[in-house]
Amino acid sequence: MISNRLSRWTLLFFAVALLNFLVAQGVLISGLTWPAQSLSAPVTLIAVHLLTIGWLLLLMLGALFQFIPVITSRPLPSQTLTLVTLIAIELGLIGMVCGFLALNFANALLAHCLPVGGALVIVGVLLACYDIGVPLLKARPMSLPARLVLTGLAFLLLTVTLGLLLALALSVSGFAVYVAPLLAQGVAYHALAGLGGWFTLTAMGVSYKLLPMFTLAPEERGRAGEAVLQLGATGFALAVAAGLIRAWHPAPLLSILSWLGDALVALAIGIYLWDVVRIFRSRKRAVIELHNKAAVGAFIMLGGTTLLAIVLMSLGVFAAHVGVFVFLVLFGWLSGLGLTQLYKIVPFLTWLGRFGQQLGRGPVPRVQDLVDEAHSYPWFVIYFIAVLLAALAGFAGSAFVFQAGVGLSALATIGLAFEYWRAWRAYYPRLRPSKPPVPPFKPGEGIIHGQH
Amino acid sequence: MASIEALTLDVREELRKGGEPLPLILGAVEVLKPGQSLRLLTTFEPLPLYAVLARKGFAHSARHLGEGDWEVLFTPGAANPQAKADQPKSATAGTSTAGWPAPSARLDNRGLQPPEPLVRILDALEHLGPGEVLEAINERDPVFLYPELEARGAAIHTDKQADGVHLLIRHAK
Repeated sequence: MISNRLSRWTLLFFAVALLNFLVAQGVLISGLTWPAQSLSAPVTLIAVHLLTIGWLLLLMLGALFQFIPVITSRPLPSQTLTLVTLIAIELGLIGMVCGFLALNFANALLAHCLPVGGALVIVGVLLACYDIGVPLLKARPMSLPARLVLTGLAFLLLTVTLGLLLALALSVSGFAVYVAPLLAQGVAYHALAGLGGWFTLTAMGVSYKLLPMFTLAPEERGRAGEAVLQLGATGFALAVAAGLIRAWHPAPLLSILSWLGDALVALAIGIYLWDVVRIFRSRKRAVIELHNKAAVGAFIMLGGTTLLAIVLMSLGVFAAHVGVFVFLVLFGWLSGLGLTQLYKIVPFLTWLGRFGQQLGRGPVPRVQDLVDEAHSYPWFVIYFIAVLLAALAGFAGSAFVFQAGVGLSALATIGLAFEYWRAWRAYYPRLRPSKPPVPPFKPGEGIIHGQH
Repeated sequence: MASIEALTLDVREELRKGGEPLPLILGAVEVLKPGQSLRLLTTFEPLPLYAVLARKGFAHSARHLGEGDWEVLFTPGAANPQAKADQPKSATAGTSTAGWPAPSARLDNRGLQPPEPLVRILDALEHLGPGEVLEAINERDPVFLYPELEARGAAIHTDKQADGVHLLIRHAK
């Protein structure tokens, strides 16, 4: 029996995450960083970590705290710990931002904020892993989404550990000599473990539950789902491990393994996208709601970005355009999927929290009454066009158009945040009377007569 | 075990006021010492509660005191709650339906998107009389339904089959 039906702090996670996203977009709009500056410039690092930790990590954890009890039928060990997680990660992030600023101004004292902040983030992540991992490990049989999320958590731990080592190397002068190869080449694998192993595999796991749930498609994904998990997990692990070992011991074999890892990842993404198409095609529900319609934008971004990486790698120019690639993964695929799924998660949680007790005891609005799809649809279109525009500008090296693109994406984010807020405040049902739940139960319908 | 005196909880006043006794009862169960029994005084035989507390490992014996009052003694250790808690949801889960009447209403919720099955079941439940049973077939395990039923004092039996999740829900009151 799940007593903690609703994750208590999930909506606060989302609010803080969205704020961080807007701040990160602000940093990019300011022109202080990429593409005008290199990827390893301190201000770029600030923007990237605001995006990855402040926005995507908090968004994902907030969603998982609600999602894990649903897929495991078990409550989280502690709701309070989820709040501690939020505070630790946000404070840690602020510390890290101060630390990166210190790198810019070569302030040795302030530089210690970086590993201290990083350590706080790790504390938050460990607490979250406990809260999410315990119900996941206990659930039998372990579903495909559960196994994808567990694999993602392992990569999350790897990512933050590598991050802390990098932070120490950057801020503690004596430490750098021990991890010099990591400092030189490790950043790429820190990013690959985080964006790929953690975010992408976990997002796949969550979508494998949410997509069939709201389109009424079969949840069992059979061999395709297994292939996505096994090829994806092996691919990311191989690419990260081979890359890291190569930083210390360059060997031709490791380059081949690293390449093989990349290939497996591309294969896993291909199968996943094919499977997503299968889910949409086998759905029993004719109408596709806006959150899933808009998610198609994110899936196209995932496919397009993967193709782009393949082309850039085969032309041998991937390194020159790695910035655009990372931007597309962050804004197109991960943020795109996040923004679209929030459009369902926020109304659903609001509806359960506000109206759950009244169900069957009087008129209540439907979940879909909490949103106005026609009103929100343009924001999703603007968002994805803005991301595409910024990415093209990144290729062309036009800083101004890039800033304008990100500015447009920020505008769309604000528009969507406003719509989430309206859903949370039950604005639309107040504005107009809601229709009864469809299809309603009519007295007498389904009543069996003469059985007892 | 017999040396510990049973904890007595009288919810008759609460019930006459039209209140909700379940939180009080569950609260009392939480403060029981190991091996201690719960003696409950109510204004009706609390059939749905038997299932709820059986899952926590309590056996029950009820006695009619006259004038509509009931005394029910819940004794711990009668079942193995851990073994039940670890049962996968994919098999049958929830309450035993022994002694339940035949369903008085049936709902086929397949083909409906969440949370419509939840809305329909709770809606239909309100049209049922005390102790009556509703049968429903859902597309998926209705995870958000369980707490709502718990809050309403209703009992549920879940059975996952190839054609859907079969639910038997017994109205409280």
